[in-house]
Amino acid sequence: MTEIKMETIKTFDYDKPSIEKGYANQTLSIDISDSEISIKPVTDKMKDVFIGGKGFDLWLLWNAVKSTTKWNDPENAICIASGPMGGTPIYPGSGKSIVTTISPLTGTVIDSNVGGYFGPYLKFSGFDAMEVSGKTTQDVIIFIDGIDGNIQILKTFGLPVESYDLSAILTEHFGKGKPRNISVVSTGPGAKNSLIGCLNFTWYDLKRKRARYKQAGRGGIGSVFADKGIKAIVARWDTVSVNTNNPADVSELKKVGRKHSREIVELDPKQNEMAKIGTTHLVTIMNDFDLLPVNNFQYGRHPEAVNLGQEVYRRIFDPGYDGCWMGCTLACSHGVKDFVPLSGPYKGTKVFVDGPEYETIAGCGSNLGIFDPHVVVEMNFYCDTYGLDTISVGTATAFAMECFEMGLINESHTGGMNLSFGNRLSALEVLHQMARGEGFGKVVGRGVREMKTIFARDYGADPDIMQDIGMEAKGLEFSEYISKESLAQQGGYGLALKGPQHDEAWLIFLDMVHNFMPTFEQKAEALHWFPMFRTWFGLCGLCKLPWNDVIPEDNKDMPEPAKVVKHVEWYAEYYSTVTGKQTNPDGIIRMSEAVYNFQRIFNLKMGFGQREHDNIPYRAAGPVKLVEYESRQERYDKQLTEKHKVDITGKSTEEKNAMLRNVREELYEKLKDAVYERRGWTDNGIPTMETVKRLEIDFPEVLELLKAHGAE
Amino acid sequence: MIRVNEKKVSWREGMTVADLLKILSDSDHCAVVRINDKHVSRPFFEKTLIPDNSDVFLIPMIVGG
Repeated sequence: MTEIKMETIKTFDYDKPSIEKGYANQTLSIDISDSEISIKPVTDKMKDVFIGGKGFDLWLLWNAVKSTTKWNDPENAICIASGPMGGTPIYPGSGKSIVTTISPLTGTVIDSNVGGYFGPYLKFSGFDAMEVSGKTTQDVIIFIDGIDGNIQILKTFGLPVESYDLSAILTEHFGKGKPRNISVVSTGPGAKNSLIGCLNFTWYDLKRKRARYKQAGRGGIGSVFADKGIKAIVARWDTVSVNTNNPADVSELKKVGRKHSREIVELDPKQNEMAKIGTTHLVTIMNDFDLLPVNNFQYGRHPEAVNLGQEVYRRIFDPGYDGCWMGCTLACSHGVKDFVPLSGPYKGTKVFVDGPEYETIAGCGSNLGIFDPHVVVEMNFYCDTYGLDTISVGTATAFAMECFEMGLINESHTGGMNLSFGNRLSALEVLHQMARGEGFGKVVGRGVREMKTIFARDYGADPDIMQDIGMEAKGLEFSEYISKESLAQQGGYGLALKGPQHDEAWLIFLDMVHNFMPTFEQKAEALHWFPMFRTWFGLCGLCKLPWNDVIPEDNKDMPEPAKVVKHVEWYAEYYSTVTGKQTNPDGIIRMSEAVYNFQRIFNLKMGFGQREHDNIPYRAAGPVKLVEYESRQERYDKQLTEKHKVDITGKSTEEKNAMLRNVREELYEKLKDAVYERRGWTDNGIPTMETVKRLEIDFPEVLELLKAHGAE
Repeated sequence: MIRVNEKKVSWREGMTVADLLKILSDSDHCAVVRINDKHVSRPFFEKTLIPDNSDVFLIPMIVGG
């Protein structure tokens, strides 16, 4: 066993509450500035309005920060929660944690959901959610021991800086011979030296006898964690069974849980095979439909994309059970065994890599013009162990590469690096520099929004073209889908509360491939229902993949097949059997609406959350450069003439591109109008008084805020 | 003979994915199929031949992401 040097700063004993119908009914508050530990009650009102998970996080964060709070102020809190169904081993995908904080990238609330054991272990230890505020100059570990009913703040010395090694050592140390009892939250040096840091959450792989990792990637939460001086948060809990969560009706819970579990076992091998290949199947499919980001989202396909597809990763992944929560039959968290990096501090040594998933492959592969599957695995490994978000690393590096190819920046700015698309060594070097906080990599680690400012201010680059090609909105880097040809997906990205992440609404196939929503009203309805339903997973401690990545065989015969209604009904049953509160599919949407609107108002509190903040860079809506137009000329010419009745006779590509831009920018504004109306918001994108009263989120501070912004 | 979602379906020389979907009653919203371990997307349905003895699966990918 590795010897660890630690000093106890604070120890706090508590009486573990029994879990009642999915709730511990209290939250944990830790201020690491003065090592204060306290416990807060969860009220019935909190449960009724905010449900749990992200809802609880938002409420804790709302009360912790002021409108002027910045990401690196001590009062900013990192909130982590499970949810009432979190920790259920019989229902697939029931181990998620949700993390929220004020983001260094956006300046407002970010939320990120993540697998691993931490959220359930935290709840079973007695806390539906935890908030950590304050800052310290010491490297501290927070240890929540749910078995002994004790919390410790520990000062540590000499532990590894890299997240993978750190978590492995802490799992061994605190596990006391039972490593499966431990889940570690940690980050790495990249998080400390950038604004795009992620958190790694562990689960223990019994077969491979190692800690495995899932990431709360988006929005720089890891950078907040590192800035606070937190080395790790460790939770310890014992054996988990279906009774640990003390559901209201165990018998009915088992029935609905087994139905969903068995369906996945039966159908996943016939459908997406996620238990074998994760989300890698999406790479070639996105490429076929012209949706895979290539060279900073300029193009949607590339002839070499097959090198990054499921046929390749099927052979690279280490076969075996890869469930990030106990008993999940989807089990999509795959990994690569005995990988040997060609660069960086682990060069020449064998490591285990968790991943890659689709987003990492597209972000750190095709979007950089890189089609070498092993380089993607290496980028994946270093992003994780450095504590960096693979999506933001990919999108930010892609932006820098395009600026380099366009001559907006040059080798005098990059420290001599040739940053052309496809340059694998440069992409890896940027990543290593980012982690060290050195050179041009440090600049890329500030994210796309800040890069645009630096390139314009310090290097004289044209701000207008960078605004068009810099793929960020609200300050967050886009995730990895081409949205140019789907207006609904442009809304899915641009209207997402935290910034352009696809977890709110992934409507590309419904809109572009299936043409399910040709009218504005239909698009607006989709941009209401899907974000609300998807939000609900984050309230309850659930993963959304079992909902729609395995589809019942009779789904096509159901009304509204896009919603996978049978599963929605199962989820309503699941909620009812755990909490004892009867609900139905409409009830699910109602629960989410309250939290969703509250988060929109939280954005308003922080100085955002209005129409102008829902803008997107033009590349998300259409072709910026003439070569982009020409790559889809037939499609664009046809749209202009047939759909928009524009006479393009004798027009140059430049003229047609300008016409297309006018049309598409106008359509996006109309989409905003339709969605705001459907959601019960003003035309400035602010929830109305009537909406907040209907949803019972009419707290005095909310009403005051709305009044100040003219909402009626 | 090929198997489509584990049910036997007659095969003929030159059969494409598009041909197969025309004779199936449950291929609505099918944008992707898997032939053995290989995915084929709708833009390639017309020109992709299905080999005899293949296992074909209709992938109901609708709202993924």
